[in-house]
Amino acid sequence: MIAAYVARRLALAGVMLFGLVCLTFVIANVAPSDPAALAAGPDAGRSQIEQARRDYGLDKPLHEQFLRYVGDLAQGEFGRSVATGRSVGRDLARYFPATLELCLVAMSIGLVVGIPLGMLSALFKDRWLDHVTRIFAVSGIALPPFWFGLLLQLGFATWLGWLPTSGRLGVATEPPEPITGMLLLDSLLRGDAALFWESAGYIILPALVLSLPCLASILRVNRSEMVECLRADYITAARAHGTVPWRLVAVHALKNAMLPTLAIIGLRWGWMMSSTVLVETVFDWPGTGLYAVSSAIAGDFKPVMGVTLIVGLNFMLANLVVDLLYGVLDPRLRDA
Amino acid sequence: MNTTRRGILAGAALLAPWQAMGFEREGGRKVLVFSGNQAVPVLDPHVRYDWSTRMIQQGVYDALLKYVGDPPRIVPWLAERYEASADGLTYTFHLAANATFHNGDAVDAEAVRFSFERGLKLNAGIAWMLKDFLKPEKIVAVDARTVRFTLERPFAPFISYVPWWYIVNPKQVLANVSEGDYGRKWLTENAAGSGPFKLRRFDGNSLIHMDTHAAYWKGWPMGEANRLAGAIFRIVREAAPRRAGLQRREIDVITNMSPDDMEQLAKLPGIRNEDHAGFTTFGIKFNCQTGPTADVNLRKAIAHAMDYDALIAIHNGGARLMDSPFPPGMESHISVPGIPRKDLDKAKQYLARSRFPNGDIELEYVHVQGLEDPRRIGLALLDSLRPLNIRLNIVGQPWTTMVARGSKAETAPNMTSVYVTPVGTDPDTVAYQYHRESWGLYYGMSHYENPEVWRMIGEARGMVDKPARLAMYAEIQRRIVADQPEIFGMIPNRTWAMRDYVKGFQFSPIRFTGEVDLYPMWIEA
Amino acid sequence: MMGRRTRLALWQLRRSFSSMLGLGLVAGIVLLALLGPWIVPYPDDVAGAVNISGKLKPPSATHWFGTDEVGNDILTRVIIGARLSLLVGVGITLAAACIGVPLGILAGTAGGVVREAVMRVTDLFLSVPGLVLAIALVAALGPGIVNAMVALVLVWWPGYVRLAEAKALSLREEPFIEAARVAGASRFRILWRHVLPNSLSPIIVKMSMDVGQAILAVASLGFLGLGAKPPTPEWGAMISIARGYLPDWWWYAICPGAFIYASVLGFNLLGDGLRDILDPRSNRG
Repeated sequence: MIAAYVARRLALAGVMLFGLVCLTFVIANVAPSDPAALAAGPDAGRSQIEQARRDYGLDKPLHEQFLRYVGDLAQGEFGRSVATGRSVGRDLARYFPATLELCLVAMSIGLVVGIPLGMLSALFKDRWLDHVTRIFAVSGIALPPFWFGLLLQLGFATWLGWLPTSGRLGVATEPPEPITGMLLLDSLLRGDAALFWESAGYIILPALVLSLPCLASILRVNRSEMVECLRADYITAARAHGTVPWRLVAVHALKNAMLPTLAIIGLRWGWMMSSTVLVETVFDWPGTGLYAVSSAIAGDFKPVMGVTLIVGLNFMLANLVVDLLYGVLDPRLRDA
Repeated sequence: MNTTRRGILAGAALLAPWQAMGFEREGGRKVLVFSGNQAVPVLDPHVRYDWSTRMIQQGVYDALLKYVGDPPRIVPWLAERYEASADGLTYTFHLAANATFHNGDAVDAEAVRFSFERGLKLNAGIAWMLKDFLKPEKIVAVDARTVRFTLERPFAPFISYVPWWYIVNPKQVLANVSEGDYGRKWLTENAAGSGPFKLRRFDGNSLIHMDTHAAYWKGWPMGEANRLAGAIFRIVREAAPRRAGLQRREIDVITNMSPDDMEQLAKLPGIRNEDHAGFTTFGIKFNCQTGPTADVNLRKAIAHAMDYDALIAIHNGGARLMDSPFPPGMESHISVPGIPRKDLDKAKQYLARSRFPNGDIELEYVHVQGLEDPRRIGLALLDSLRPLNIRLNIVGQPWTTMVARGSKAETAPNMTSVYVTPVGTDPDTVAYQYHRESWGLYYGMSHYENPEVWRMIGEARGMVDKPARLAMYAEIQRRIVADQPEIFGMIPNRTWAMRDYVKGFQFSPIRFTGEVDLYPMWIEA
Repeated sequence: MMGRRTRLALWQLRRSFSSMLGLGLVAGIVLLALLGPWIVPYPDDVAGAVNISGKLKPPSATHWFGTDEVGNDILTRVIIGARLSLLVGVGITLAAACIGVPLGILAGTAGGVVREAVMRVTDLFLSVPGLVLAIALVAALGPGIVNAMVALVLVWWPGYVRLAEAKALSLREEPFIEAARVAGASRFRILWRHVLPNSLSPIIVKMSMDVGQAILAVASLGFLGLGAKPPTPEWGAMISIARGYLPDWWWYAICPGAFIYASVLGFNLLGDGLRDILDPRSNRG
């Protein structure tokens, strides 16, 4: 039965992806623009522009271009960037691990900080710590990530000098040949401690900025679950006696908070991938977000379409995984 | 064994933590680290060029001739000498005897023929320079060391473009052809050249590492003892880390810094700024065919209202005003008398003569999205036009959209700001932008119309008699200025900041922004 | 004489520190937006006056937050920027609600093929990276505040469909709707008189939150260079330019960002407070 459910969801995701392809294709062609001129370069004459038009298949009518693009996608090809002439698929393969690494670290920060802070906040409900965390939680979604990122750069990189400003590795470090493309993981696999610490230093600020909205949601959910737990009669009684089984309460609250936390991870994962466009721009992080922004500004749409599809796919997969886990973890849903 | 700087840092930190880090070494030789913001997506010399790409191409490849110095001169390179026939149709090049590719193959006439043929047939990148004047069949390898080019019709700028046609090793290219692509895929990330540097690692988005070719056929100007081990081009998009890297001596040369940054860098010890007048012109092209700016009096009014001082001030003084459509230093350049400068009375007189004596119009000013200087210049123009009661709509658009709009006079914006870098020293390179044939191309968005000027431009490019040709170009410059198809703006300086131990830097304005010739450079310590 | 409910609501609002903070911030921004042109020290600086010789001055008595790269007073531009941001935030939210809510109620009450169609399209839009899509659209159309708004409305409306649909769905089975239907009320009347008013609370709460998020989104586009055209002062665009002057001229970036933060925080806190009052059941955390 689960198999049938998964199959149905996957089919639906397939339809959605196709819809996304259509949508991005329309956007890419909505404005008058001449990608062939970009491909041919600023000095090119008419003959070279026409040559580029043929080379990139831009001379074909739009519906043919669309079919060709869909056909390419079916073979795992994302077309070619007109600005660089490079295969978008290869570029994505290169940039995506960086973005994935950033999001994974950000999500970890969200969980590791969000859960305990939420619980503490509940324990000190309506005290100053609670007020501070509540403001902090709202700030998580109210702080402009690009501005906050700049502030952190100013504070920690320029003034204190503790952390590097931007990028993924120091200019003096030769980037290693990728294994997974995720530097933290690669350096561990290679046993290169120096590289690990160096890349950790570079990832911490962008991951922190990226994690904030997610951290805020996790914090709120865990706080409210903990508040519920503390409201239980036996706890109130225990509190009155001053003998509270804290461990029991914490475990109970954690259990209750698990499902909503999971839902938030699923919901926020796609969101996070989407906000990498800002964070990666601020921190010059060479991932898909920066790739999408710089291509979009240049009017080079194949990369933008590729990134949209990859991020969309992540959105859908995250939702699917969360739904499935829900099914496994929540007995009510499982029995239904 | 590659000693990374990190290793040195670790060692130095143990011994003497206060000691500043030095340049990178490899064995007994040093490695020059250069950093700029622009990637090198495609290395193929016949497919793409821009400043960063060409800097690497110039490193790994050689051409028949080479541009050096300021003002730029063309010197013999792979060709020891060349002759041109009196009718300007035939050029014969005699190759150096000792030139070899990195793999040891001789650079022979066939390699030259093959490379030009490849450039023409791919019809991308550099092809536009010669495509209309040179047919692949008309390139003949007379013998192993002699190549003859026969042009379709006389084309005076021919020699000025030859330095950009790099010679590839046909054997290597042909061994790596896939699906009849002329080796295009392979050459994207590999090199088959004879240049002073050999490609060691190519990762066009972050780092390109080249080793010096010890047996370079032309030898090394700084002497074998001072020859570098290699050069690294580090792509760092943001200015702040480039600057920090230079200050920490992790990088030896940086470019693409803002004028404000350069001013700050100049104050630091151990750092030297190179600041030179380039060839890149900034102009604001009017749409001369459609809309209000089709009126020459309005164009002149605007040109006289423009605050030219602001153009210089935006660059903190690091720019010069244009005094002709041609950049100074280009052959035949004259300072055209009466080129507009800010003069509100004159501007108002012209406006009174135009179809819009009271102003009260809104004009569109388009610049390439994301470029900061043209945006600020737009603001300065907006402010300048206020006394004429003309409103300005400043619009940033992607390059592709801007070009698509400019391709037709009906859709071209009233004003478009463009940077143009002439690729050769020949005046035709700039003059031809004003020809009918350039209408609708990036540099021809003004759709400028003057049949007499067109005729002169067409004639001058085929002229063999040099004094007559120069006189013709002087007249062309005067007439273009009189028609005011654009606001002739300024020429921004090219700037680099480098550690003071970097030697051998040679500026040449014909190279692009940021581009340097790595060959003569070395590190003294 | 105020109604009991209103008084209760006001009391609740007043009791909560964070809601009052939110209200205060929002009121402050609205006030600045209304009074802007009359209180700023250098009104000319928002229309594109250029004074290059006075560029990049540090904060001083004459320029509290310093001057920008063309010599304009930063404080002046930030205050006037409040107008644009507020207008755009409210505009996007209203437009998105006007598209999303009717569609959602329609889907929730109609059921069948209509619901399936509306909800699948909604799902499509909900499952795409909104910001990325907006960037692509604005980049294609060219920057400008109108294009930015169009793009953001395009990615914003589906949230309202979801909300309104869920609400309408839950209302469908309620006895009073049932009763109205039995009494022979027209479908439109049921929608207009019964379903819409009863779904209003969560929608208002969401809208209050969304004004803040829309302000942030426009600023984000501005930061990427896809916002308002110069010389219109826009907070995100100001930060984008200021970024090029870090770290030496750091004060340039501080002021516009603080205003974005304050206004988004204000709307979010206010939304939180409103939710406690209007929609207490959904109050989770």
